[in-house]
Amino acid sequence: MTEPFNRLVKLAARAFYDDFTTKGDNQPKTGRSDNRGMAVVVLDALTRRQWVREEDLAKSLKLHTKQLRRTLRFFEEEKLVTRDHRKETAKGAKIFSAAIAAAADGQQVGKEGDEKTKIHTHSYCCLDYAQIYDVVRYRLHRMKKKLKDELDNRNTIQEYICPNCNRRYSAFDAMQLVSMEDEYFHCESCNGELVAESDKLAAEEMGDGDDNSRRRRREKLKDMLQRMEEQLKPLTLQLARVKDLPAPEFGTLQAWEASVNAAGRGGNNNGSATDASKSAQGQGYGGTPMPYIGETKVEVTIFGADVKDEGAETEAATASLKVLPPWMIKQGMNLTKEQRGELRPDAKVDGSEAYRDQSDEKKQEQKQEDVKSLEEEYLTAYYEAYARMLEASKTAQGEAEVSQQSTSSYLNGVSDTNSARQVGMKVKREDDDDGGIEWEEDVATGILNELSIVNDPNAQPDGSGDEDDDIDWEEG
Amino acid sequence: MFFHMVLERNMQLHPRYFGPHLHEKLTTKLVKDVEGTCSGKHGFVVAVTKVESIGKGLIREGTGFVTFPVKYQCVVFRPFRGEILEAVVTLVNKMGFFAEAGPVNIFVSNHLIPDDMEFQSGDIPNYTTSDGSVKIQKDSEVRLKIIGVRVDAAEIFCIGTIKDDFLGVINDPDATA
Ligand SMILES: [Zn+2]
Repeated sequence: MTEPFNRLVKLAARAFYDDFTTKGDNQPKTGRSDNRGMAVVVLDALTRRQWVREEDLAKSLKLHTKQLRRTLRFFEEEKLVTRDHRKETAKGAKIFSAAIAAAADGQQVGKEGDEKTKIHTHSYCCLDYAQIYDVVRYRLHRMKKKLKDELDNRNTIQEYICPNCNRRYSAFDAMQLVSMEDEYFHCESCNGELVAESDKLAAEEMGDGDDNSRRRRREKLKDMLQRMEEQLKPLTLQLARVKDLPAPEFGTLQAWEASVNAAGRGGNNNGSATDASKSAQGQGYGGTPMPYIGETKVEVTIFGADVKDEGAETEAATASLKVLPPWMIKQGMNLTKEQRGELRPDAKVDGSEAYRDQSDEKKQEQKQEDVKSLEEEYLTAYYEAYARMLEASKTAQGEAEVSQQSTSSYLNGVSDTNSARQVGMKVKREDDDDGGIEWEEDVATGILNELSIVNDPNAQPDGSGDEDDDIDWEEG
Repeated sequence: MFFHMVLERNMQLHPRYFGPHLHEKLTTKLVKDVEGTCSGKHGFVVAVTKVESIGKGLIREGTGFVTFPVKYQCVVFRPFRGEILEAVVTLVNKMGFFAEAGPVNIFVSNHLIPDDMEFQSGDIPNYTTSDGSVKIQKDSEVRLKIIGVRVDAAEIFCIGTIKDDFLGVINDPDATA
């Protein structure tokens, strides 16, 4: 049901937001920091989700939250995306995660003991399909109108010329040019009858170059209009296709949560699920089951990285990785592979606690993964040694941290070209049923390469030292 | 567009007004001085709504006049490019027509009048569609879009168009008569 609309979003993303870049990063404007194409990746990712917590989205896209937020803010302004922000305690987040689990597989997740009362503001986002349809149509309309107006000289200020003395006037002088005797404008200096300039287009006397450039401009405009219609044809066709279909409507975050919750409860009369959502609502979080998120909830924290909410997050990860029973998967649901029982590559590469309880097929995959991670560890050791050699002049402490950071991000599978390629490969396979749009992965990997150092949202970017480090790594 | 804003002005007052009604006098003089004037920066001052404060007067040497700095709130009108205005036609000729929106003069040249409207000269020059259903003549009311604004120190002049959706005659004087 959502498919035609998703296709519309994808086409629009490629047509209009392909070269969108979030500037203002205090990174140097090199090829590496060029994040064009990210907008498309984000929009594509959103077509596979409904409401999603922005942090989770950032994690699964391996983007820095700040960067993602900037992109989302832009899309909010563009009216493609609705966002919602609310304050949640760590406890709330836990309940929220439990609710996700409840909706995902109808099982209650083990209760957690200690609860923190820290309040964080969490942001959620969702595509607004009905509005996107209007926005895209309006945009096309404005584009066409602008070109056509220019072709018709619609919004140009008329100019007048005195044929006797060649003095030029603009329409702004009209008040002074009016004559009481007849219907024409008259020259202020010689009282000659003025002629509107466009009428003189045929006449050659008023300067050839001027006319030529005007004609060339017209040609250019016409050409542009034609090319625009040609190139945006797929988009207009898709708009026409979507025209009479009801747009997918997820409602506000609260409404959506409530409905998904209800669906989860109706699907299985497992009392515990109800409990979870009830308690969640009691907390005022509306019990947010989000069956499609959380695949990358697990953080591989090495060396004193932020460990604050680890408990809650691992729980969420295990929970959300559970597979949706086939009878729960309805048409029109936007599910990740995990919920369909397939495996998602980026989660796989995360490989750690998340994979302890899994179905058999996943275990098989895990074996392969183990071999791979061995290889990767080997490579890491090599790169570490290499980096250490290069960084010999830097302070020992900072360096150790840097390489640790890099290692952890490397283990996440995105830090060097080698593993990045593997990620890309698998993502392609995963994306096969996605209408064959394979474009995203390449760019994604490209971005991931750029962002390797910040791909763990909890890790603080360590400054320019890291950057150099990173470059060397890629060369090695 | 109309704006409500606070402006300042130095008012000179003749010594003969120095007395119990000095503030009243200043206010009436202010209203008389500024209402209906046009400043290039703010547009037309339509009405003074309130005198906010009157500062300390300064006696001018030689004349005995006193200068008061006066702060006042007022409504100003300033047209912008892209703005839609309703205006009354004042003059129609072969080159187009002139219209007034309050204090602003607007000129709509004939190439910004829809192509299906033809100029008809005669006693009452006008622009008419071929079927005669729509007519623009003196005192017609039109809705137009501003496409150019020229702001002088004491005058604002606009170029408008009625060659777009929902623009054109909104009230025909003949029809109501
Ligand atoms: Zn002349």
